[in-house]
Amino acid sequence: MLLALAAATLAPACARVKPYQREHLARRTMVGDRQPGESRFDQHARGSREGADGGTGEAGGGCGCN
Amino acid sequence: MRDATVTLVVLLLAASPESARADGELSVRGAYYKERSTRVAQPMLDARFDVGDDGELRAHLLVDSISSASVAAGAAGTPFDEKRYEAGASYLHRIETLEVGGGARASSEPDYKSAMANLRGSIELGQRNTVLAVNLAGGRDTLNNEGAQSEIVDPIEGKLFTALGSLSLRQILSPVLVGEATYDLAYLDGFQENPYRSVSAGGMLEPERVPDTRLRHALLGGLRAFIPPTRTTLAGSYRFYVDDWGVIGHTPELRVIQEIVPDFDAHIRYRLHHQSAADFYQTTYPSADPAVEPYLTDDVKLSELTTHTVGVKLDVQARLLGIQGQLGEARAEALFEYINQSTYYGNAVAAQIAVTFPFRY
Repeated sequence: MLLALAAATLAPACARVKPYQREHLARRTMVGDRQPGESRFDQHARGSREGADGGTGEAGGGCGCN
Repeated sequence: MRDATVTLVVLLLAASPESARADGELSVRGAYYKERSTRVAQPMLDARFDVGDDGELRAHLLVDSISSASVAAGAAGTPFDEKRYEAGASYLHRIETLEVGGGARASSEPDYKSAMANLRGSIELGQRNTVLAVNLAGGRDTLNNEGAQSEIVDPIEGKLFTALGSLSLRQILSPVLVGEATYDLAYLDGFQENPYRSVSAGGMLEPERVPDTRLRHALLGGLRAFIPPTRTTLAGSYRFYVDDWGVIGHTPELRVIQEIVPDFDAHIRYRLHHQSAADFYQTTYPSADPAVEPYLTDDVKLSELTTHTVGVKLDVQARLLGIQGQLGEARAEALFEYINQSTYYGNAVAAQIAVTFPFRY
């Protein structure tokens, strides 16, 4: 809800970047510099060593390594 | 699992440039993690297939090979080996500015089975400057303590249900700056103890006891910027975490990605994680009476802890070696991380090597 509100409030205030201005934004490093396998392993390793989890938009857990 | 692997390999071998209709990508990755008493080796396959003009199918397979002498695993210092197998697939379909889809994953190890399914959707707004996404997931795990290395241990079986709701926002702020935010809400209901863990309480060793439910909130905000003159990408994020067991976590992370030459990037990263202890965490309890101490845990994941992670990654594309055409899009990466942990696990190292090949079919 907060994010939707933030989007509705901030989006019109942000400068609209035209498609032809997105050369740098299309770089792989600007879209995400981690492949799914790397993220999955990181989340798995941290989930078994830290009590905090989440913020990735993906479900963690799924193993008995607690 | 083996059948699924064979099917995936056959599909990829059937891919031929002559009948090119769609693109895909296959990643082969090996991950390794080592600390004082635990080693994990995880080979994995990730595949992505274009389906028609508007669909995308992803699938993965992995094996977790764990060697540990962890006391918490019931082995009391005796090393044990265990393998976990995981497979997952997801599909996303684009309809104008909407993307909808779902997926599922399942994993199996001798004393733990897990299944999870999810539905996700996203919409692009404001001439695609804003992307709002939602992900809803539900899972069911079953576990037991059949790995206990003592015959006098009572058998334990448990079930755990997990529900996740996630909302994320990605906002283009300028031609070189993107902001992102994600809020995850997870609810767990069921057996959340480690069935092998014993806790010192009232002068005896008692099985771990934690609440049956746990409500977890995680809010992550981040900025990603590209600096054209130096060809540098900066990515910074901060995650705030809180749950109803009393754990509060702060996790800032900074990544610098420097283009050394075109098609060759070097990544440097630093991550700090600090968390408070769960309300009921203690290393020893004066009483084992549930009326006095309803919960018993000495799980260090629920203690106050700090973790520092520094890492380096090199990412190179085959084009750099003069390889042209589709194969020139192949890339390789190598990652090394050093993890300083304040807990008795000690410091750890992690490494990953991956090769990604594009293909047509």
